[in-house]
Amino acid sequence: MALSTTVSQRKLIKRKAPRGFLKRVFKRRKPHLRLETSSDLLVHLNCLLFVHRLAEESRTNACENKCGIIKKDHVLAAAKVILKKSRG
Amino acid sequence: MRGGDPGRKNYKKLRRLGTVGRIFRGWTGAQRALLETPSSKKLRSQTKMTARRRSHKARSIDRLAHIQAGGHLEEQTPRTLLKNILLTAPESSIVLPESVVKPVPTPQVVQTSRRESSRGSLELQLPEVEPSTTLAPGLLAPGRRKQRLRLSVFQQGMDQGLPLSQEPYGNADASSITSSLNLTFATPLQPQSVKRPGLARRPPTRRAVDVGTFLQDMQDTSLALAPPGDSLRTPVTTLPTDTVLEDTQPFSQPLLGRSPTVQHSLPCPSHSGAKDVERAVGHRTWSSGPRLQNSGPGKPAQLMAGKVEEVDALALGFPNTSSNISGEDGVEPLQNGVGEEAEGRMKEGLSMREVEEATEAQGSARAEEPEEHTEVTEAEGSQGAIEAKEPEGSSGDEDTPGRTASPELASSTPEFLRARRLQFPEPAPPPSTAVLTSEPPETLSARLPPRTRIPGPRPRQDPYKTGLNHYAKLFSFYAKMPMEKKSLEMVEKCLDKYFQHLCDDLEVFAAHAGRKTVRPEDLELLMRRQGLVTDQVSLHVLVERHLPLEYRQLLIPCAFSGNSVFPAQ
Repeated sequence: MALSTTVSQRKLIKRKAPRGFLKRVFKRRKPHLRLETSSDLLVHLNCLLFVHRLAEESRTNACENKCGIIKKDHVLAAAKVILKKSRG
Repeated sequence: MRGGDPGRKNYKKLRRLGTVGRIFRGWTGAQRALLETPSSKKLRSQTKMTARRRSHKARSIDRLAHIQAGGHLEEQTPRTLLKNILLTAPESSIVLPESVVKPVPTPQVVQTSRRESSRGSLELQLPEVEPSTTLAPGLLAPGRRKQRLRLSVFQQGMDQGLPLSQEPYGNADASSITSSLNLTFATPLQPQSVKRPGLARRPPTRRAVDVGTFLQDMQDTSLALAPPGDSLRTPVTTLPTDTVLEDTQPFSQPLLGRSPTVQHSLPCPSHSGAKDVERAVGHRTWSSGPRLQNSGPGKPAQLMAGKVEEVDALALGFPNTSSNISGEDGVEPLQNGVGEEAEGRMKEGLSMREVEEATEAQGSARAEEPEEHTEVTEAEGSQGAIEAKEPEGSSGDEDTPGRTASPELASSTPEFLRARRLQFPEPAPPPSTAVLTSEPPETLSARLPPRTRIPGPRPRQDPYKTGLNHYAKLFSFYAKMPMEKKSLEMVEKCLDKYFQHLCDDLEVFAAHAGRKTVRPEDLELLMRRQGLVTDQVSLHVLVERHLPLEYRQLLIPCAFSGNSVFPAQ
């Protein structure tokens, strides 16, 4: 039988996707568009990957500066690169 | 077969009778205890009788069932009669543990003879022994006493003028017993459905409502709430009285009269001016104050519950609410019971608010409150009574941000007042008008200017920030290195920019496909353009890597038994 769309067995998902938040953000910016159910999760996936890349880049920047802590400027530099990459 | 296993059609009767039978079993036990007291002779006969009775219990029930099935005179069944007697008779231990009763098999012939003697002895003892004891034997061994039963039935008919029933024993015994005992076939006060009087639930005790004081309180509340000449005030003032009325049963009629007006007034507050809303808010706080204490009734309870949630979420303190509560103590003394939960939550909210207010600056509170309220109202599911209010509440939130600033009424009132405003359209005598009038004007004037400033950015800030915070935490996890707080803020800014780009791209892709809905294909195209999805790395691989199982199942089509694929494509 096909699975139900609800979570099976355990109700607790680690790393839950803030689906409501994502939908609201999208609605705020593009009220004339609609977001589908599954694409909601893919947007979350996209965010995860973006944040992942950003973190990697910031870490690299911090390590290059021989800093044990990620500082604001590391993040800033990393963001410039990654945002350019994620332009699509 | 009669006398044998009860037929299926008798099953229900058996079951019904079973409960009564259990009572009688208890009676036999009590009877035993009582029988022990009288003389030994009687004891012996009685004990034998009781023993025999017990032995015949099961059979008696069956027979009774059969008899009843055949007799089809429910009113006159021995069980019902005896049950009535039981219920109306003077108290005695009816229900005893069934372990006391142990059926003892004895020859039935002996029983019948014994029964006669026992009955005689019973009748002799009737004045001494409790009626309960004598009643129990009547039910036993119904089948065997047909001859005697006829006599007893005749006797019963003579005595009580009751129609003769074909059912044996029970009626006769009961009648004889009752006649000797001066018991009446009074119908029990409890409903017939109650088979176990000992276990019957008492009707919920309600506080006797003093109409006079109640009306007085209503007058007070309406007076306190109604501002002089303010249209909205009247709705607000009526709200507390309505809530008071709605929940108290004896006053359902006034509620009926008010309820339509309440509904009519609901749209009115939404269109009210800022000032009116403020005043209403002020009034609501007053009304809500005492309400909280008195565990407001259903609707207000619901409202309060919803509001309490908001309050809790917002954690804004408002010292004046306590003063409001004290002021309106007299208003609603009768509201107890329904909104206990709401009351508790409200109290928590109020206490929280009070604490918060003491610490927070009004400006920040003002700024946060309406935003949070709107957000909370939007986020939280609408409860029954709150649903109507929520759209209004959200609109009210927009209006009230400035109003909420003042610590007195506005602070806690926005939610409460909105709710109240919606629910209390009718004018009610304002409660402590003096107290209200002194404070509201200042707060109103103070509230008016900030209200116009804040509405816009508010809703975007907090829930948006919390969402971004969620991803910022993931960033710190992925980085695996300690981070500064400022860098986290930086991450949030980057995420904000990223979301903008994301939405624009998705819009372009959807428009390119001639759609107005963003579909997973658009997302895949986006990820491909971003370089995340390549020919080597497919989308499904990424999904499997980074998403939890539940989401994976939703995204990746999987074949199941029965030639079905989920999710369907």
